[in-house]
Amino acid sequence: MEILVLIIPLVTSLLFWLSNNKKVLHYINIAGSALLLLLAVSVTGRFIMQGLDSLIFLSDLFYFDYLNLFMLDTIVIVSFLVSVYAVGYLNEEFEHGLIDIRKLKLYYSLTHVFIFTMVLVVSTQNLGLMWIAIEATTLASVFLVGFHNNKNAIEAAWKYIIICSVGIALALLGIVLLYISTVGLFGDPHNSLSWVFLYENALLLQGSVLKISFIFVLAGFGTKVGLVPMHTWLPDAHSQAPSPISALLSGVLLNSAMYGIIRVLVIINKNLGSNVYTGRMMMAIGLLSIAAAALFILPQKDYKRLLAYSSIEHMGIIAFALGIFSPLAVYGALFHMLNHAFTKSMLFLCTGNIFLKYKTREISKITGVLKILPVTGVVFLLGIFAIAGMPPFSVFASELNIIIASFEAGHYYQGAAFIILLALVFAGITSSMLKMFFANNVSEQVIHGEVNKSGTIVVVIMLCIIAVTGLYLPEQIGAFLSSAAAIVSGGM
Amino acid sequence: MEYYLDSLSLLILISSFVLVANKRINSYIRTFRLQSFLLVILAGVIGMENFFSEGSLEIIVIALLILVLKVFYIPRLLQNTVNKVEYKVEKDFFLNIPIGVLICCALVMLVYYSVSSVIPADTGHTRIYLVNSISVVLIGMFFMISRKKAIGQIIGFLVLENGIFTTAMLTANGMPIIIELGMFIDLLTAVMIMGGLVFKINENFESIDINKLRNLRG
Repeated sequence: MEILVLIIPLVTSLLFWLSNNKKVLHYINIAGSALLLLLAVSVTGRFIMQGLDSLIFLSDLFYFDYLNLFMLDTIVIVSFLVSVYAVGYLNEEFEHGLIDIRKLKLYYSLTHVFIFTMVLVVSTQNLGLMWIAIEATTLASVFLVGFHNNKNAIEAAWKYIIICSVGIALALLGIVLLYISTVGLFGDPHNSLSWVFLYENALLLQGSVLKISFIFVLAGFGTKVGLVPMHTWLPDAHSQAPSPISALLSGVLLNSAMYGIIRVLVIINKNLGSNVYTGRMMMAIGLLSIAAAALFILPQKDYKRLLAYSSIEHMGIIAFALGIFSPLAVYGALFHMLNHAFTKSMLFLCTGNIFLKYKTREISKITGVLKILPVTGVVFLLGIFAIAGMPPFSVFASELNIIIASFEAGHYYQGAAFIILLALVFAGITSSMLKMFFANNVSEQVIHGEVNKSGTIVVVIMLCIIAVTGLYLPEQIGAFLSSAAAIVSGGM
Repeated sequence: MEYYLDSLSLLILISSFVLVANKRINSYIRTFRLQSFLLVILAGVIGMENFFSEGSLEIIVIALLILVLKVFYIPRLLQNTVNKVEYKVEKDFFLNIPIGVLICCALVMLVYYSVSSVIPADTGHTRIYLVNSISVVLIGMFFMISRKKAIGQIIGFLVLENGIFTTAMLTANGMPIIIELGMFIDLLTAVMIMGGLVFKINENFESIDINKLRNLRG
């Protein structure tokens, strides 16, 4: 039954090629992602009800525990919401003659392949297969990034595939080294890349090889996560892709790559017996990412690029928290992954509506969003405060967690630097973006009223989610997150 | 046996130096084909030994796959791409060739010192294998940043991938076969997509010079 999680998105992506009717394509899209959502929820439910610790299926290549179920659920929920949004968005583009039925099919089909690859990343326990899946996420989304086929989109797609492929190739070298460190230790080499097995036998691996391996894995998957200085593809790809794709890229793709780092990090920390080695690197690269993002956000003229830099900042925050590696910090990191996924994809979906209305990505050419798009405008305004870290939204809650963890673990200077940088980012985001919302006299060319009705409902739902989880996290979800965090910090 | 492997790993390293010294796109493709052929021999030698000692055919299958993909299919695909984008012969590098070769020597030394500082000397040939093949990876990366044309970047990526494959082959007799197969599929798809993008770049920018891709900054 669990295997259906992998089969459904693949079958859905093939079904699109059977029909030429726009309505039918939309229905397949919604049905496919809704079915996937139901299935993921039922697997999770069964897992919790039966009180399982882990669930192995298909000759132990695939494996679920709390950590990957948490990642899986985030991916599936966000992609369902984005799929619903995409229907209205693509209809709008279709009516303006920007895309034809063939491109619509290509879009839907590739999106579902993209979702499939991300689900594959988080449902396998074989690190080699996980690497293959992460590389496949790039390949599935290249054409989606270059979807509009103009100069800028092609440039973004080229940078995306070249930089990410090279980065991920380095991660492969890291995984090869990890594999080398096991050779000769165990009889059957086919087990040597399975995560459970590596984790159980972590103390037997050769520490010196593991240390080099971690550098390569961090640089490699870090490219895909968008950590500075390997981030250069990210603002281009996020700004040029159609908005629903930007939402998927930023909300869940970065998380899946981060998940790759987490799995390796756990093994290496257990082997070395402390997190000093990995912690220094993760905290340094995390702070560097936040600092670089703070610098680039301030003079930003393009609102989607600004949000892309904010994604770099948030990935930096997660890396920082994983560097601290105390149970509270790991909990904060996972909670932050969840919050960032919802908040950032909500914002990117809002920019989709704004782009449909104004036909420009430049902040200076947009005024009076609150008047012209009353619902999207309000959600976008609140979302910007949420992503900058304003209470009562959930991003604030997880950032607070991480700050407390940092001081508790005795990292006073790093914690102080972290707070100052967050304040800088807050100032940068709000001062650049607030200009868009108000206007004395709105220009005549833009017609009042919402576009993409179904999409607007989606963003409102997402706003409710992040507002509620910021104030009160339901007990089950909290317990679920704690169990996931316990898997990460368990070896220490 | 070890004698063959030593020479092969060195030859693969030398072939990547040859690549850096190449001037024309057509010769890049030929050098890549040569390097892949060396890989086939390497995998073949290890595969034969493995077959006689353990009776498993896995590595020989992998050697055949490399032969088909990296020696025949991918070079031909790239050659077709080059022919179609009407490549004009023009200077394709930022640094002149001697400086490029010197930088690669420096890279090899860097790898030698950093690998030596972590891997103990008593591990036999592993250390020198790691030095040679990680150097190939770095030279591939250097090649990517030293060339201006899109095809050069694809070749650099392929050489980098060859280096990783050599690492796995020499030090651990290759990865498990499922992983190797998946990697081949990924590599093939990646090269096909990159080839397709080269056409689009050529259409949109009237050239495949990557330096013209400068609209997105900041």
